[in-house]
Amino acid sequence: MKKEIFALSVICLILIVFPVALFAYQAWRTNEPGIRTIDLVAHAPASGGWIPDTINVNVGERVRLRISASDVVHGFEIPALGIAVDEILPGHVEQVEFVAARAGRFAFACTRWCSVDHWRMRGVIQVIDPANPDQPPPLAALPLYQQMKIDIDAPHPAPNVPAARPAAARGARLDLAVPDDLRNQSPSDVFARLRGDPALKANSDTDLWDAVAFAWKSAAGDAAIAHGRALFARDCAACHGEGGKGNGTAGRNLPGLAAMQVSASLMSTVKRGPADFTDASKMLGASDVLLQGKILRGGMGTGMPEWRTLYTDQDMWDAIGFLRSFVFDYGFTK
Amino acid sequence: MTTSRIELTGIPIVKQLLVSRWLQWSLVAATLPFFVLAILTGLAGTPAGSRNFGIVFVWIVWWALLILVLVPLAGRFWCAVCPIPAPGEWLQRRALVQPREGGRLFTLGWKFPRRLSNLWLQNAAFIAVALFAKVILTTPFVSALALLLFVTIALVTSLLYERRIFCRYICPVGGFIGLYSQLAPAQVRVKDHALCATHHDKTCYTGNERGYGCPWLVFPAALDKNTYCGMCAECLKTCSLDNVALYARPFGADLLTNNGRRFDEAYRGLMMLAGAPLYTVVFMGPWAEIKQAAYAVGSPNWWGYALGLLALMLVIVPGIFFACAALARVIARVQTPARNFFIDYGYAALPLGLGAWAAFSLSFVLTNISYAWAVLSDPFGWGWNLFGTADWKWTPYLAGGHPILQIPILLVGLVASIAVALRTAREQHVSQRAALPIVAFAVTFTLGLVWLYV
Repeated sequence: MKKEIFALSVICLILIVFPVALFAYQAWRTNEPGIRTIDLVAHAPASGGWIPDTINVNVGERVRLRISASDVVHGFEIPALGIAVDEILPGHVEQVEFVAARAGRFAFACTRWCSVDHWRMRGVIQVIDPANPDQPPPLAALPLYQQMKIDIDAPHPAPNVPAARPAAARGARLDLAVPDDLRNQSPSDVFARLRGDPALKANSDTDLWDAVAFAWKSAAGDAAIAHGRALFARDCAACHGEGGKGNGTAGRNLPGLAAMQVSASLMSTVKRGPADFTDASKMLGASDVLLQGKILRGGMGTGMPEWRTLYTDQDMWDAIGFLRSFVFDYGFTK
Repeated sequence: MTTSRIELTGIPIVKQLLVSRWLQWSLVAATLPFFVLAILTGLAGTPAGSRNFGIVFVWIVWWALLILVLVPLAGRFWCAVCPIPAPGEWLQRRALVQPREGGRLFTLGWKFPRRLSNLWLQNAAFIAVALFAKVILTTPFVSALALLLFVTIALVTSLLYERRIFCRYICPVGGFIGLYSQLAPAQVRVKDHALCATHHDKTCYTGNERGYGCPWLVFPAALDKNTYCGMCAECLKTCSLDNVALYARPFGADLLTNNGRRFDEAYRGLMMLAGAPLYTVVFMGPWAEIKQAAYAVGSPNWWGYALGLLALMLVIVPGIFFACAALARVIARVQTPARNFFIDYGYAALPLGLGAWAAFSLSFVLTNISYAWAVLSDPFGWGWNLFGTADWKWTPYLAGGHPILQIPILLVGLVASIAVALRTAREQHVSQRAALPIVAFAVTFTLGLVWLYV
């Protein structure tokens, strides 16, 4: 009988004490006084995306996110809080800590092209003021395109298109005076204004386009363009293609693309699929504000995500600064 | 047919170990923590299979141990160690180590239906696992549920039926191990059949104060192959004449006779043979569409995959082999039914099958075993680093060199299969040319695998 009791005790240790010890060890590891630990698991969007996709924390709370991936490599970013994890390998746990300093809703997203539906992989952290838990998040200002009542879905072909790709470097050497309120104007409009200036009558169209290219480059600034280039590589190139031609692998079968309704009159002007940034007519006919509207609102069911919740205004201006390089020669070396 | 054999139980310490009532309990108690951990990590750990103990240790480490070491060298030894039937058996006996006084067992003690007392249930279970293998072998949660399901079935059958019905007739791995254990150089057998004939009590089957009757429903005196012997050594304890022993013997000794060959076993051997290239394609092949179809359970593509799998394992490979057996019968110019030829020659597929599975498993294991180091330190994928190996990267071992190891294994299997086929012809007292279609089948199958591996 003693032998049986001993044998049974060992089995009970294995079946009961061993599992309890494992979970107790994990609880001991992850619970640190003063820090709220939240497990966040990244799945490809088809398998559920972020779980949980909504995280509620209180203002002033110190939060530790333990982020893991279940299937493929994901990334993580809360742009508004300046938190990013570049790489979350499947089965690994990455930790980030932050203090939720102000109330509000802060979007987070995957920053790796984890699947075709990568851009759907988003979530939100709601920072709630315990003293006023029902307080709605502050309203954001209307985007510029709405303030200026620009129809961003209307065709916007440029009336003037250069014969060759304008070069910013040549434009710099010309040292022409170009208006500096560029965001509200399309390059084509600015070219038209320059062309109409009697003082520039001696300059060729090519000169003026070069001057326009230089104006856009210097208005954006090299640092911003470099940042925009990094954003493009991370978030846009998969669909729009590395060369901006709208031929990225991930853009071929975007959800909703086949069902995209385009009126007969627009068939010739509206492209079904990711925009081609090398199309001079469209890019030179669009103001920065219009492009920003397209970026922040997204493609409304075409597969183009909205970026308003993830990008700051500056991110968007920087991205646009880089997008111009597909029609203006900024002297990048490939 | 008697083959040369060496009685290992002639070594006192081996004998002492095998007759000890603590032996099986100790072995199960040693594997049980790993099994419990595999289930816990499957249920609560990371869904990333490559970082989950339940996937890495069950389907990579254990599988490697089973196919590359235990089955070829020790036959069904794993069945003596396996923790899956242990809870049911302990409950049935209401004892973990000692035989219960009075011998009354906690079970309804039903006899298993005669119609199901064969390999067909195990064949069906093997097919069911194969159909969902891509999911079971890569998804920790599903893997854990599958293990729990096996434990539950083993428990319920122990309460309803006599002895180890789950192991004998249901376990999908058991049928696999059982057939290939015929090739192992170890066996439990009676020493002297004549002595058994004089023993009226048959305590090896009925049990006594020293142990239980054979849990595998095998009468040791009639045991002439390893297929259904779980190597639990219960008969060594209960034989009051000390007439049962553990022997070392030549590889494949069970295949040296045509006696006791059965259709369900022959068919199972061919099913498993078909399974080897199938698993190779699904787990190691470059065809992403097939892998995706195998994983997308319930999708139209999966149904296509499932139909293909069923056709290959149930119809195409056994069918081609049947045609070869029928041709062998024509060459032999005998009136024996083709079915009998299929059965007799079906056993020639066993060395080929084990070789094919070993070759697949070797590549699978060399490719994936490095996951084990990280998983040892972080079994749940929770960010632990118990032994400092959590960040060890995945590194396929001998990448590019697998065929150098695989091809010799396949060739050993092929040569053994041909030898068995030729011997079968001799046993049938027909011309050895009758075995040529079977030899052609084995050669073609091997060439197909070589093409897959190279």
